This record gives sequence, structure tokens and C-alpha cells, in this order.
Amino acid sequence: MPLSKQQVSSLVQLVASTTPDEIDCDGCLDHVAEFAETLLAGLPIESAMVAVQNHLQNCHCCQMEFETFLKALSGMDETSE
Amino acid sequence: MPEPMTSDPWVEKLKDPTQQEEALTALRVRLVRGLKKVFSSGGESFAEDIAQDALIRILEKIDQFEGRSQFPTWAMSIAVRLATSQVRRKHFKDVSLEQFADGEGLKLDVAVDTLPGAAEQIEQSSIYQNLSELIDDLSDRQQTAVRAVLSGMPVEEIANRTASNRNAVYKLVHDARTKLKSGLEAAGYSAEDLTGSIA
Ligand SMILES: [Zn+2]
Repeated sequence: MPLSKQQVSSLVQLVASTTPDEIDCDGCLDHVAEFAETLLAGLPIESAMVAVQNHLQNCHCCQMEFETFLKALSGMDETSE
Repeated sequence: MPEPMTSDPWVEKLKDPTQQEEALTALRVRLVRGLKKVFSSGGESFAEDIAQDALIRILEKIDQFEGRSQFPTWAMSIAVRLATSQVRRKHFKDVSLEQFADGEGLKLDVAVDTLPGAAEQIEQSSIYQNLSELIDDLSDRQQTAVRAVLSGMPVEEIANRTASNRNAVYKLVHDARTKLKSGLEAAGYSAEDLTGSIA
């Protein structure tokens, strides 16, 4: 089955954003808490955090997880009183 | 060896047998609250069960906490990974990898847009042509994994079906992307050309 146009675009995007030194999914998990706090505080994304950002762009699995993580974080601090 | 960081109050309590239970309870409450916000459809006990498993994992990994974020944020990142893994496993339970290994490789015979003649169009089809040839040189495992990823299959689920792990599948796909990228570069296409071709 040929790839759909959408899939070809995704592939081209994935290929274009490939860098030699990408972190893997565990590397992403190791830094994702810090990345989320940086993002939520509106601080600039620097050095180690760039690698996390790139991984999230290239890994659908971690990206979905990150969105869930942000929502869970917002729920964690909601108080019921 | 790096100097141990100044200890976090959470870490101190969780490592102190006289305070551990209290700290675990406080952390569990926060994890459950966060998990319930996202996994509301998972049944009443889902968040509680995940939080329980997460606490065990958090205690196992506690020495890896480097204090770069707040402790509860780090703890939640571990809980969310456990939760999403479980949800995914259920969701993709009946999806087999075979469909992505159809013996045709990754055929790229997408219809070229109907507007003829534009230079961008010619560049795009030339990129696709090159890409298609480069894909043929990928290994079968790489082709299957790339197709599965492009079809929305999480790397973790690909790993579960190939007696592999998530990092290894990510690396497999990364190696494939690297090959395709350097092949396209050798053919004269930069990353900007690639993104430009799909803009
Ligand atoms: Zn990942």
C-alpha cells in the first residue's frame, strides 16, 4: 500500500529534522519534568532542553505523553477546597 | 563523580523510614488528582492503581532525581509514562505489525498535485523520486518501523511486537532517517529544500 500524501509529508518532515545527536525516549523522560516547568514558566528553551524539544517533535509517542503530562500537572495542583 | 545535590525535602522524607509513609500518602494524593484529570474514563481505580505502581517506580529511581525540577513534577512524569503505556497497550491490542510489512516497502507513488509546471512541483517530485529510491535501500526492519510510525503506531507498541524496547525502535527509525537525510543531501537537497517541498 503506497503512503498517503499526509504520510509522505510527515516522512519528509521527519527526515528534514533529523540530527545526529538525538536523545532517545528515556533521555527525553529524564529531562521532561524540567522541560515542562521551563515551558510553563515561559522561560527560554536552552541547551539540554533543545534536545527534549527536538525529541518531542520527532517522537509521536513522547509527544502524546507530554501533552498528557502537562494536563496531569495542571490537575495535580488543583485543590478541591 | 558529581557531588550529590543538596537534598530535596521530598527525597529526604521518602528515604527516612519514620517519614516515608506520610510522604508517600501526600505524593499519592497529588498523583491521583493529576491522573484523574486526564484519565477520567479509565474507571475509578485506574488512577489509584497507576499511582500505586508509580510510587514503587519512583522509590526505585529516587537516586536518579537530580533536583532539576520540583520533585512532584518529576514523579508525575513517571506516573504519566506508566499510565500512557497501559492505555496504549489496550488501544493497540488488536493491531498487528504485519500490515506494515506488506512486501511493497514504502511505496511513494503519491499523486503529484494537479497544478502542473511550477518549479516547486518539479523539485517536489524529484525529492520524492530520490526518497523512494533511498527507501528501497533501508532494511526490512527499518521500512516496517518507519511505515508503522507514519501510520501512528507508537514506538513503544512497535517495540512490544518485536521483542525490542522503545529506545531501540526510536534508534532504528533514527538510523533510517539519517540514511535518508544523507542520501538526499548527497543528491543536493538540504533540510530547507525538504521542508520547502512540503510547505
Ligand atoms: Zn520518544
